[in-house]
Amino acid sequence: MTKLTHIDSKGQAHMVDVSDKALTARSATACASIKMRPETLEMIMTERHAKGDVLATARIAGIQAAKRTSDLIPLCHPLMLSKVSVEFEADPELPGMRVYATCKLAGQTGVEMEALTSVSVAALTLYDMCKAVDKHMVIGEIQVLEKRGGKSGDWCLSSEVSAVILDSTATSSSRARVSAPEIRVRFFAHLREQVQRDECLINCQDLPDEVTVSVIIQWLTAQDACLAQAFANDSLLVAVNQTMVDRNAQVQPGDEVAFFPPVTGG
Amino acid sequence: MIRIRVQPEVFNAGQEIEAITCDRRDVGAVVNFLGYVRDFNERPDVVALTLEHYPGMTEQSLHEIAESAQARWPLHAITIIHRIGRLTPGDPIVLVAVASAHRQAAFDACNFVMDYLKTQAPFWKKEHSRSGDYWVAARHSDSDAVRRWENANE
Repeated sequence: MTKLTHIDSKGQAHMVDVSDKALTARSATACASIKMRPETLEMIMTERHAKGDVLATARIAGIQAAKRTSDLIPLCHPLMLSKVSVEFEADPELPGMRVYATCKLAGQTGVEMEALTSVSVAALTLYDMCKAVDKHMVIGEIQVLEKRGGKSGDWCLSSEVSAVILDSTATSSSRARVSAPEIRVRFFAHLREQVQRDECLINCQDLPDEVTVSVIIQWLTAQDACLAQAFANDSLLVAVNQTMVDRNAQVQPGDEVAFFPPVTGG
Repeated sequence: MIRIRVQPEVFNAGQEIEAITCDRRDVGAVVNFLGYVRDFNERPDVVALTLEHYPGMTEQSLHEIAESAQARWPLHAITIIHRIGRLTPGDPIVLVAVASAHRQAAFDACNFVMDYLKTQAPFWKKEHSRSGDYWVAARHSDSDAVRRWENANE
């Protein structure tokens, strides 16, 4: 088993002595995601937020946080960072924002803790900036994507898991996703408010071969309590590719399935 | 001729009738339905409403309703205009204009289009009242109105 570097031979926490380690160019990239309502995401992207430029503020917060990492993490060395960059990527499928931070230095220890702290605080700042309009935001998937330099050499998350997790966030250099056939599900009016989202994408690999509207409803119901409660209402109407159908109707990969309450125009 | 428009802007009913009848000598009747926003509905103090719709499907659905009416009666023209977005009491919300050689077909077809629009076209109203906002519930009477056309078909 790999030894825990911050525990000494007596089992006590200590700061690793790196005095004799070679000075090498090191970098680390980490990411975090923050799920939010599509309206919140749109508000950030169109810069209509009352608190001003959300992303600019969160970016500064991420950079500041990277510099303060050794104050927060007990056994972390203070580092002379040579570069911190914080980037944001809107992901309508999440729906929400992905935060990426890359930290660099020429030094004797790795910088992944700085990158992780940076994305965490940038995500917290996004939350702080938007909490007045969206209290259901969820921060998650905080992880290291890539590490370069040092004794243990280069390491990249995507080379380990991209074959397994189709939808994983790859590194900034290879952020393209493996495309899989999907079914787009849309929600309107009261239902949209109940399920707190405009739409979601279902990977066809998660569904049986024969897909009907009922199968889609079963899949949605199994996702979370919010969807389960909304779909307990059997007066909901459904349209496949913008034509009203009943629940036995077939659904093909690439189709758009819309659910909505009985209509009230006129 | 079928004209379908879904728009936030106000429409001018006079101009729409003019557009149907100009350059024609075979129109004997135009029946026009105009719907307005009321200040009372599910609650007595409605101050505004917001109309949401399903872009793409809405236009397609209105077009299909107009085609069904044309298949059923000898019509010269159908115009359907529905507004979306925020409207206040007194605002016109929907216009259905039907032209035919004789009045009976125009009356019936206009009625038919409104009955189907109310139950098939993907529009939803959220009313804003002094005591809060709520989504308007569908009325059984609207479904019953459609059923009489289906029964008349048999």
